[in-house]
Amino acid sequence: MNAAGVLGSTVQTARAPALRCEGITKAFQGVHAVNGAAFDVPEGQITALIGPNGAGKTTVVNILSGAMRCDDGRAFIGQTDVTNWPSYKIARLGLMRTFQLSRELGGLTVLENLLVAPAHQAGESFVNLLFRPALIRNQEREHAERALQVLEVYGLYPQRDIRARELSGGQKKLLEIARAVMASPKILLLDEPMAGVNPALIERIGGYILDLKQSGVTVLMIEHNLNVVEKICDYVIVLAEGRTLATGRLSELRENADVVRAYLGEVIDAGALR
Amino acid sequence: MVYYVFTLVFFLFDYFILAMGLNIQYGEAGILNFAYIGFVAIGAYFTGVFSLPNSLNTGQHYILGLGLPFPINLLLGGLAAMCFALIVALIALRRLRTDYLAIVLISLSLVLYDFCNNYVSLFNGADGLYNVPEPFAKALGLTVNSFIPFFACVTAAVSLLMWFVMSRVMRSPMGRTFRAIRDDEVAAAALGKNVFRMQLKAMLIGSFYAGIGGGLLIQFGGSFNPTAWLPGETFVVFAVLIVGGAGNNIGMFVGALFVETLLIHLPAFLPEIPGHPGLIEYFDSALVGIVLMAMLWFRPQGAVPERLRRATSFGVRERLEPKSGQ
Repeated sequence: MNAAGVLGSTVQTARAPALRCEGITKAFQGVHAVNGAAFDVPEGQITALIGPNGAGKTTVVNILSGAMRCDDGRAFIGQTDVTNWPSYKIARLGLMRTFQLSRELGGLTVLENLLVAPAHQAGESFVNLLFRPALIRNQEREHAERALQVLEVYGLYPQRDIRARELSGGQKKLLEIARAVMASPKILLLDEPMAGVNPALIERIGGYILDLKQSGVTVLMIEHNLNVVEKICDYVIVLAEGRTLATGRLSELRENADVVRAYLGEVIDAGALR
Repeated sequence: MVYYVFTLVFFLFDYFILAMGLNIQYGEAGILNFAYIGFVAIGAYFTGVFSLPNSLNTGQHYILGLGLPFPINLLLGGLAAMCFALIVALIALRRLRTDYLAIVLISLSLVLYDFCNNYVSLFNGADGLYNVPEPFAKALGLTVNSFIPFFACVTAAVSLLMWFVMSRVMRSPMGRTFRAIRDDEVAAAALGKNVFRMQLKAMLIGSFYAGIGGGLLIQFGGSFNPTAWLPGETFVVFAVLIVGGAGNNIGMFVGALFVETLLIHLPAFLPEIPGHPGLIEYFDSALVGIVLMAMLWFRPQGAVPERLRRATSFGVRERLEPKSGQ
């Protein structure tokens, strides 16, 4: 079974924005990390968010996912204005994310990390806990069966019973994606999923992301590896100094002198992108 | 001898309850509740004033005085601690986390202590409550000596019931979400978990346990005053938790046995050292401190560490030939 299989089928629609940023601004003690970023993320596509270090990519992802409040501007998921909503409310709309530095739930087993993800768990209610144990037991078994399937797909099945903090760096990256998949996301934000990962695993993670696209998930990923961007991303957004510098396909952006100057530096010409 | 043994048994099971309450807050949900003894005191005082008759002819000053029978007064005492926790959580837990929350809670503990100590009409000030009726003593014709074994057994039964409920909570998705928040609340929130709401649940459950533990204390001794809940007493419960092993109920029992029973109460029953009257009693705090440091140094996970929950415990079948990992 592939990642698309464990997600179940969702209808893929073309190009309506799944996410929208309108003039997002965020300053830290007067320094603007994001300064009017504005872009659309098309539904059902894989979009790369690229730009030099300090361009505000992670801050934008933090704002979109509710981990950080913005000073100005608006964020939309579909038609819903989610500006400055708390993380948990945004997650409940179907937006999941991973982090630049893996944030595994270290004291829980790998399997339990996935079991935290499903929404509306009967066993989180004290009343159900006391009076409806059978309901909880059945739901737990169903979730565990699905989580084990997800772990098989992501190659973490043998590690299911060990604490997540004992995984390697690459395995933690996989666990974060698997955990997000377990929550059946509509939109997935990946913050440098390939960072610090060996080439073989980069290939695998790229495959998983393509599988997610096949199942209708909209993906926005921050990525510095332009080979990966070229291979799997449909659309690219370039941020520089907190602003949207350009958007489009990578092939178009290769010809954009501003993008080349801002992202690669003056000394490297556009040919280095090829 | 029976008196000594059953007094130790009482404190063992009472601190087992108290440690389970702190464990759900700190060991599971990561709330550093340095005001825990304050919630114990609220439970004790309210259990007392729900049980005592009207204060007019008692020579004491206190509120309520409803004369309710055991265990109704005890349950209401637990609920009073829960209500107090709700107020504290709505103010402090909503906005503060980790160290800042701990600072506010330890301050709250000190304010609460001074308030109860000085505001006499509330719980009789520094004298505290006394002559609290002994549960079932009249109905069963219990004497002073027979009440102690009887009530130690009642406390053991209550603690086992509370252990059963707590085990169910800890093994449930609720317990798992608590631990997820403890490990990384940003990640838990990103997975759709309402961190404040879940921590509020842990705070309320733990405070109910604190209230019940406090209520049993006042019912056992028949009295309760500020010397019984000096703010530093919170750290004895923390010592029970750390020595036993945070995140494990069996660990709470082991911790209560070792710290509360053996280190704190047993020395009080040892013979005096000739020429140094009262010296042994002063050793208990030092002993607890030494044991605490030793545990944190050599075995930080505690005597009985948090248990792993394996896949098979969810009622699923393991695959015979698992695919290999990366």
